[in-house]
Amino acid sequence: MNSLKTIAKGTIALSACFGILVGCSGGSEASSDTLPRKETMYLSGQQWGTPGSFNPIAESWNAAWPVGGRFNLMYEPLITYNTLNGQMEPLLGSLVEELSNTDSIVVDLNPAAKWSDGVPVTSKDVKFIFELGHHYSGVAINTSEQITGVNVNVIATVDSASGDTTSKVERLSFMINKNGRNNPLSVKDLLQAIRIVPEHVFSKLIAEHGNSVEEVKKIMMDKNPADGKAPVVSGPYNLDSYSTTKIILKRRDDYWGNAALHNGELPAPKYIVHPIYKSNEHSTIALHDGDLDASMSFVPRIWRKKIAGVHAWLEEPPYFTAGAMPMMMINTQHKPLDNKYFRRAVATAIDYIAIRQFAVSNYTSELEPGLIMPTNLEGKYINKEDCAKYGVNLSLSGQERIDSVQALLKLAGVKSVYNEDGVLDHMEYENGERIKTLFITSPNGWTDWEAMVTIAVESMRKAGLDIREGFVDGGQYWPAMGQGNFDLVMHKPTADVTPSLPWSRFNEVMSSRDWAPLGNWAGTNIGRYNQPGTPEYRPEVDSLLAAVPLMTDSVAIADAYRTLNRIFMEDQVAIPLAYLPEQYYEYSDHVWTNWPNSQNPYAPQQLPWIGSGTKILWNIKLSK
Amino acid sequence: MLKQYPTLRYVLQKGFWYFLTFIVAIAINFALPRLGENNPVDIVMGKAAQGLSPEEAMQKKETLLKAFGMAELDDQGKVVYDTVPEFDANGKAVLDENSKQKMIPQPRLSSGISQFFVYVKNVFHGDFGLSYSQYPKPVIEIIKESLPWTLLIQAPTILLGWIFGNLLGAFAAYKRGIFDKVFFPVAMFLNGIPYFVFGMLLVALFSVTLGWFPAMNAYGMDVIPGFNLAFFKSVGYYYVLPFFSCFPILLSGQATGMRSMAIYELGTDYMKYAKWLGLREGKIISYVFRNAMLPQLTGLAQSLGAMVGGALITEMIFSYPGLGMAMLTAIQQNDYATIQGCTLMISTCVLLANFLVDILIAVFDPRVKAGLQMGGK
Amino acid sequence: MVKLLKNLMKSPMFVVGIVIFVLSLLVAVFGPLFYNVDINARDIVAGPYAPSSAEHLLGTDHLGRDYVSLLIAGLRSSLYVGLIAGVIATTIGVFIGLFGGFRGGWIDEVLNMGTNLFIVIPQFVILVLISSAVKEGRSLTLIGLIIGLTSWSWSARSVRAQASSLRSRDHIALAKMNGDGNLKILLKHVLPYLLSYVFMVFIMQVSSGILSEASISMIGLGPLDSTSLGIILNQAKDNGALSDSIWIAFLPATLVITLTVFALYLINTSMEGVFNPRLRK
Repeated sequence: MNSLKTIAKGTIALSACFGILVGCSGGSEASSDTLPRKETMYLSGQQWGTPGSFNPIAESWNAAWPVGGRFNLMYEPLITYNTLNGQMEPLLGSLVEELSNTDSIVVDLNPAAKWSDGVPVTSKDVKFIFELGHHYSGVAINTSEQITGVNVNVIATVDSASGDTTSKVERLSFMINKNGRNNPLSVKDLLQAIRIVPEHVFSKLIAEHGNSVEEVKKIMMDKNPADGKAPVVSGPYNLDSYSTTKIILKRRDDYWGNAALHNGELPAPKYIVHPIYKSNEHSTIALHDGDLDASMSFVPRIWRKKIAGVHAWLEEPPYFTAGAMPMMMINTQHKPLDNKYFRRAVATAIDYIAIRQFAVSNYTSELEPGLIMPTNLEGKYINKEDCAKYGVNLSLSGQERIDSVQALLKLAGVKSVYNEDGVLDHMEYENGERIKTLFITSPNGWTDWEAMVTIAVESMRKAGLDIREGFVDGGQYWPAMGQGNFDLVMHKPTADVTPSLPWSRFNEVMSSRDWAPLGNWAGTNIGRYNQPGTPEYRPEVDSLLAAVPLMTDSVAIADAYRTLNRIFMEDQVAIPLAYLPEQYYEYSDHVWTNWPNSQNPYAPQQLPWIGSGTKILWNIKLSK
Repeated sequence: MLKQYPTLRYVLQKGFWYFLTFIVAIAINFALPRLGENNPVDIVMGKAAQGLSPEEAMQKKETLLKAFGMAELDDQGKVVYDTVPEFDANGKAVLDENSKQKMIPQPRLSSGISQFFVYVKNVFHGDFGLSYSQYPKPVIEIIKESLPWTLLIQAPTILLGWIFGNLLGAFAAYKRGIFDKVFFPVAMFLNGIPYFVFGMLLVALFSVTLGWFPAMNAYGMDVIPGFNLAFFKSVGYYYVLPFFSCFPILLSGQATGMRSMAIYELGTDYMKYAKWLGLREGKIISYVFRNAMLPQLTGLAQSLGAMVGGALITEMIFSYPGLGMAMLTAIQQNDYATIQGCTLMISTCVLLANFLVDILIAVFDPRVKAGLQMGGK
Repeated sequence: MVKLLKNLMKSPMFVVGIVIFVLSLLVAVFGPLFYNVDINARDIVAGPYAPSSAEHLLGTDHLGRDYVSLLIAGLRSSLYVGLIAGVIATTIGVFIGLFGGFRGGWIDEVLNMGTNLFIVIPQFVILVLISSAVKEGRSLTLIGLIIGLTSWSWSARSVRAQASSLRSRDHIALAKMNGDGNLKILLKHVLPYLLSYVFMVFIMQVSSGILSEASISMIGLGPLDSTSLGIILNQAKDNGALSDSIWIAFLPATLVITLTVFALYLINTSMEGVFNPRLRK
């Protein structure tokens, strides 16, 4: 009986505890331990795992938001690139277009720029980060192939009215490495990608750690090692706290740019929080519930969320402006993929309309053959005539498509073999030699890519191509891609919209400059296309890719792109599948309003943490 | 020597047995993930080696091999290298300038046995190795962060589910009639719903459609974890759905079990006798309850494993930051060290819980007190 | 045997259970004959997550595939996995339980320890460890096999209890005196007494197999070569069915899986009632 009483007592006690727990749910508003909703902006889509490091000189993949990647809330670049109009906008410095040429790119530093500890941002800081890789090994950001160094001149600006010298401006010349890449375009990319770090903090750290950058890279940098307070940054926000579930940034009311760039105004949100969700689905629910203000994660069927106040850049398909091109890279070293007719057959077999509808929620505009996207930044380089003449026909369907694929297979000397039930069994060469099943490598769990591959495989098999899905774990995907251990692989070359597009896309897909044999790591041209020294080698590809960055005449540039695109189409180097945004951009009007969109394009289609998207923070308003 | 203290003797016996089981659990944990060709160093290298020169890459690899305890070390603690012929990706021999077989140095990997002993030694020191995906974060850190949340979900659901389930089951068995006719099929139906499916239904209904409760996480994004009221309130609010996605299923499972047991007890001769004697209803129920209790306690020990497994998946549905979630993330990122650490931790917790139940049995079971139940279970 | 069936048929629980289960078996096996839509065919006109219509009774999934045919295929896979796991687990469990319980002595001790090991270490943990180690070729059959190999423990334990109670019965002693071998005694004199019990164990193993497969598929470690009910649910969850409140995407699969398991529970419970008369009124 005693035992029964004990249990009964325990039960009552426990249920009481639970009652209290549940009873707590009714909420009173803000105490000092909560972030007031009306002063906090919740953004997500970048950080998916526990923050590993906030060290700006650590490898990008290791550093957490907003330090890794191209975010400029804490550390800022010299200039930002406006993906809406292709303009370079000033930040820590401003691009001096008229003085920049193929020898050097010139940037004036903003004399008002200051670190959070009051030290001014100077050429010392710029030289430190840009030349770090010239002096030390193991540096994540190494510019030695791009520039030989940064030259500094001090110029005086003169007030036009009074004629007095108002301030001294440091003029930086980034000297292009003529013997290296010799590429002004990618130097401009670097200027908007590399964030300046405080030299006075890092030089000291490097000296303290036995001159080893490797050691300094291991420091977490969530605090300033010197005083244990917030890290020294130049941006409008600083790290407040972080955990496995979120990263909190707090506004810096003494940010130098408020006065220098934003008419003395403060950014509206006092806190910016990046909740760390575990899946796209969770950020979608949070967005739907108004717990999340904007996200760059994939939100399927955005049109169903309009009722909940969730919008994208455009209100109708394709909902976003295109910025990146997921494609199927082809291993041109594997038979029969070394045959361009066979590659063309594969490209022809795909049902692009089904991909658009089911895999990417109609978030892509109609495809053009070739490697140039019909956007306002690069669309001018598309030559419709060439596309019709050399490009794969993307609008075929049904039997027409199958016939077209079979005709191409005949040219490639490949035959589809069917079994008695009329189901595709395998492919063989004309001499009867059997061809092994080809696989499309794609990371497991990336749902939109999975859907693209599934749909592509289905239509390929229907057209008589023995190709199957090869979903692999993330850990196997990257090495397989780099080492060329694939037949076809899903990939998104040049995922960021940078000043160098579309050159950088052509370069990444077709350049033989760093051609690597199978088994060796290839950073560009993972399809091993255009192997130098073989009879099929087309030297004009590499010579054009080397020449374009140095060209200044717009007609010559257009001509060069036309040729490159023609060669891409002729050789079917890879198979673009859709045009998706650089990053998705969905926002909720629940708490904050006046988000930029196609009707109100004061900032590009970017979350307020990257590139010139940060100006959203000064324009956003509280919803009623 | 312990003859006079049968309970203590029983507990010691059990303790020894659980220790053995723990060793086997470690062995399983060590062996299973090594079934496939999963080399942690290659996984981390794939991500870390981009943009490194060959020498730097070799150095990095050496550090990693040491960190994961995979390399044979010499007396000075340096990695031992063998000289082996080089082959390319297609398995063809690579030739040097003189068209002779090219030889390259390769770190010698330590044997599975020695890796195992290192592993066991480390486990007893609380060292579960380094996470592959969050390298160089130690797995024990990940476990420390997530274990409290798992306990918060599991302990109350299992305990309350068991207690209320048994009460309800005994009541249904005694009452029979219409209550039992409705209750029993409903309980059995509920028992057939997988936890995660029930969780999904709750999310769709109470979170997305009605908007009453949050769909994920353990506390709001607007609170800062710490010892403050706002945080506890938020935790309570976020606790509701995960709790109720496990509780009813656990409850009905226990209730159906208890019902059968109690009906069986009610049918025994002494019960008939008791009824014939005209004993009070409450008295009879309490007898039934008490006699059916012991098998139910043993039943709890048996089903703990299954319950824990189910609730782990619930964490995944609600993105509850416990061990289940840590494990899911690790699975998605191929992070075997973390998967192993989590599974070992879960096994250990279940072992401990079982041990506790066994001690409870020793306290309740008169046969143990009498020193009758000497053998294993 | 006939009498047994008659007794069983008197139990409404059994009738309901068997009807649901046979129905689900029929649908799984013969469903495609009556409702044959290619599970790979996507309906471009209907689009993703189309609502219920004449062509698609339960609408389409995120890839425009017909839900009814997906459910049929999923049910078939789930039953298949359940049966494989059930057969394997029951065989191992009965074997170990019978042998240990009947032999007693140190063999029993050792077998019992092994059984307890598998009871104490959560099956889910072992499942996760193995499934995450097997990267390629994680087929439906393999998953069934793994589940079977890891879930036999409690069958072994309950069979052992039954077998050891039989050990001291007279007719066994008689057989022993006749000099019959252990195996012969086991098969001829012990097993028949336990048949009904073994069958109940089998039913429970099948239902737990179905649930285990759904769990493992739910966390993305399921079979790679087929559609199962767990995979349907996982895909619905991963592809925004929850956040868009598309009930039709996950409610039917939930019902199918729950009903199937429920039916098995009903059968099991009613058999328990018949074999153990005291549970009856």
